[in-house]
Amino acid sequence: MNKNFFEIKNVDFKVGGKTKVANVSFNIKNEGDVICLLGPSGIGKTTILRTIAGLEKITKGSIELKGNILSSENKHFEPEDRNISLAFQENSLFPHYTVEKNILLGAERNKGKKDHQVSFQEIIELLDISLILNKYPHEISAGEAQRASLARSLVTQPDLLLLDEPLSNVDQSFKEEIQEKLKKILKSSKITTIIVTHDSYEAFYLGSKCGIILNQELKQFDDPYNVYHLPNSIEVVNFLNRGTLIHAEVTSPKSLKNKDLGTITGNFIKSFPIGSKVKLLVQPEDLHHDDKSNLKFEVVDRKFRGTNFIYTLKTPSNTLIPVFVHSHHIHQHELDEKFGIKRPIHIDHIVCF
Amino acid sequence: MKFNSWYLSSFLISFFVLIPIITVFTSFFESTSNYYEILKNTFLIEYILNSLVLLIAVLILTFLLGTVTAYLVSFYKFPGSNFFKWALILSFAVPPYIYAYSLTAFFENYGTAFTILKNLFGDANYNKSIPKLDGMFGAIISISFSLFAYVYILARASFLYQSQNLIDLGKNLGFTKFKSFYKIILPAARPAIVAGLSLVAMETLAEFGAVDFFSINTLTTGIYNSWITFDDLAFANRISFFLLLFIFSLFLLENLSRQKAKYHFNSRGGFKQKEKSKLSGNKAVLAFAGCFFVFFMSFLFPLSQMLYWTIKFPENLFDLQIIDLLLNTLYLVFLSSLVLIIFSLISNYGNRVSNNKTLNILSTLSISGYAIPGVILAIAFITFIAWFDENIIKSLGFLSIKKLFIGSILGLVLVYFVRFYSLAFNGIKSGYEKINISVDESAYLLGYSKRKTFMNIHIPFLRNSLLFIIILISLEIIRELPITLILRPFNFETFATTAYISASEDLLEAAAVPSLFLILIASLFIIISSKYILRENNE
Repeated sequence: MNKNFFEIKNVDFKVGGKTKVANVSFNIKNEGDVICLLGPSGIGKTTILRTIAGLEKITKGSIELKGNILSSENKHFEPEDRNISLAFQENSLFPHYTVEKNILLGAERNKGKKDHQVSFQEIIELLDISLILNKYPHEISAGEAQRASLARSLVTQPDLLLLDEPLSNVDQSFKEEIQEKLKKILKSSKITTIIVTHDSYEAFYLGSKCGIILNQELKQFDDPYNVYHLPNSIEVVNFLNRGTLIHAEVTSPKSLKNKDLGTITGNFIKSFPIGSKVKLLVQPEDLHHDDKSNLKFEVVDRKFRGTNFIYTLKTPSNTLIPVFVHSHHIHQHELDEKFGIKRPIHIDHIVCF
Repeated sequence: MKFNSWYLSSFLISFFVLIPIITVFTSFFESTSNYYEILKNTFLIEYILNSLVLLIAVLILTFLLGTVTAYLVSFYKFPGSNFFKWALILSFAVPPYIYAYSLTAFFENYGTAFTILKNLFGDANYNKSIPKLDGMFGAIISISFSLFAYVYILARASFLYQSQNLIDLGKNLGFTKFKSFYKIILPAARPAIVAGLSLVAMETLAEFGAVDFFSINTLTTGIYNSWITFDDLAFANRISFFLLLFIFSLFLLENLSRQKAKYHFNSRGGFKQKEKSKLSGNKAVLAFAGCFFVFFMSFLFPLSQMLYWTIKFPENLFDLQIIDLLLNTLYLVFLSSLVLIIFSLISNYGNRVSNNKTLNILSTLSISGYAIPGVILAIAFITFIAWFDENIIKSLGFLSIKKLFIGSILGLVLVYFVRFYSLAFNGIKSGYEKINISVDESAYLLGYSKRKTFMNIHIPFLRNSLLFIIILISLEIIRELPITLILRPFNFETFATTAYISASEDLLEAAAVPSLFLILIASLFIIISSKYILRENNE
């Protein structure tokens, strides 16, 4: 069967008549796949989820699930008539029911589907909410409410699960653990899921594909590796905030030259004619430290990230370049010191714009 | 989704409530445009001046009584402070007209004060030395002690939500307690106090029983007298215009101040529970005496006066058909509450699911019924039914429907509905504001229809709010006088109308029994609802 499990074709996502994200197209090929939509706050990610859930209508394009049109200009299935579950970012538990009753209301929708009882127990344990089952929503923390809401959505065993910033209220120390558990649940229950987040690491970890939404557009929809290493636009580079763009000139099909760094070799992702003036993306892991190198720049900032340092170096032409160094590196460089860069410089994927 | 059955129901309900309100305005514009002549040739100037004097005096007195008592019970611990906290709202059980009867009964020649002095000091002519609290002064006292609780409740709620941080800030700046009160505490509670005073103002302008009893000519009594005494509906409508002008300015003021009230502290983020200071010695005695004086004057005094007369003239107790009056009152309470709750729920839910601007505007207009005095509403209702009967029903060849609506329980309940719709609608609305819209959306996503969401999610959640609203409506209907007086069926009396009729026939001792029962039943409702009215947290 060639049909995609879920597909969005040329949809303008609107709220109150105002377009938030325009002309969006993407698909989820197989049932059970998890994709993530990434973008800054207020960009319209939630609107996309609400529209997929049927809470907002569309006036252009179509949304299809399992080959059936759910929304189009002329057609709109009400939310209650789609088997799609949305876990809201804010607490949307029914305030007058206990957490357990809230989750059981979700399970009611699951009646007749196999394995529901097992899933219920499993989900409670995995999300670590057994101790709050008898509490009311106002008696639990925001993080617990978010996990309870997630559990309610999961027990419905929907055709499509939509998670809006599912871990935004979860403590940082607990976040990774929950991410792992969530990934495990989604995989074992084979629930097709769209997760919206502004945390790129969360998106890269949970999603098999990532969509980057910027400036009212879906800028890139690709594997997390490609989104990170092969961003397709300057906006995506700026959003991921993981590198710097420096001026360079293409000198051969496998090299280019920068005034400060000299010759850089590697494989171009997109070919440019020799002699082209381009902007080269330099990511922290592209350059390597070498104390013995004669290519030295001044340290202007140093960020300690636990496993590594990210040094910011200033070149003679006042360009700031980030360089990744393991934190176990034999010695640290202080501000204003000179910092050597290993030569020759080779970057596996040369990304230029 | 926009034009579903919920939208239609909500639209029709709001529109129905608006009919009498629209009637008041249209009949005003139809009647005349030469208002200068009317002002010159009639008692209108006297009506306006009396209304103004009454309004200003009542506002000053209720402000003082309400804020001072609220401040004392909110910020200090003293003997009886926990008791006064709720006892002060019992004044709601005494409508101004019953207070007026008590005041007169106590201070009149050979009244209760005379009897007390005679028993204490022997026979003498004490009448000359007993002040006569009647006329304008009597009306001001009666209305103020009966209505100050509006200011008390809202000011107290606002004081309670003031963070200890605010008080600490005052101390840190070296303010004295008095300076802290007028520089920090009072301005922070200003929106709540203004909201309370606006309610007092609307009730004062709409007050009929007490001012009528003291023969003060205000705009409200003017409307009633023009219609009842002179059978001049047109003039009644003209006076209504001036009264509505007053009231809508106040309504606007109240709405504006309520918007500001949103800036109060809430329980999350920076709120620190206030610690009450313990008063001792003279200060404790003064605080106790102040609160006791207000409690005594507003509740114990009218209650004991009515009780005294009931005991002194027991024959009145037996003459009166208490059970019938009770059943009539409860019948009206039951029917009206039922109608108000059902339709306000539907209307609120319709507004919520439709999220339509037109409907929102219509709903906002429809709740203005509360600001329109009962006398005007009743007359507007009669005007509308008469017009509808004449122009629509009869022209279609049907029998007159006047009897069905005027002088019937149906008509009475319908006008109560318009009058108290805002109470029910706003009460349910504030309950709904606590339910995040994502709760509804979660229900839809769990496969619930709109009806099922309404029945299974909203109604159980709103249960406590509904109970509280029913109690408030009941309290209002038990005390309500002018609408019942104008629209009640022949031979159908409530405690309020019986008390009024006896008092207007100068049979004050006969008015005591229904008044006493009215106070007792209303007190019962207040005691039941006090835990909601005086909620100490943000739940």
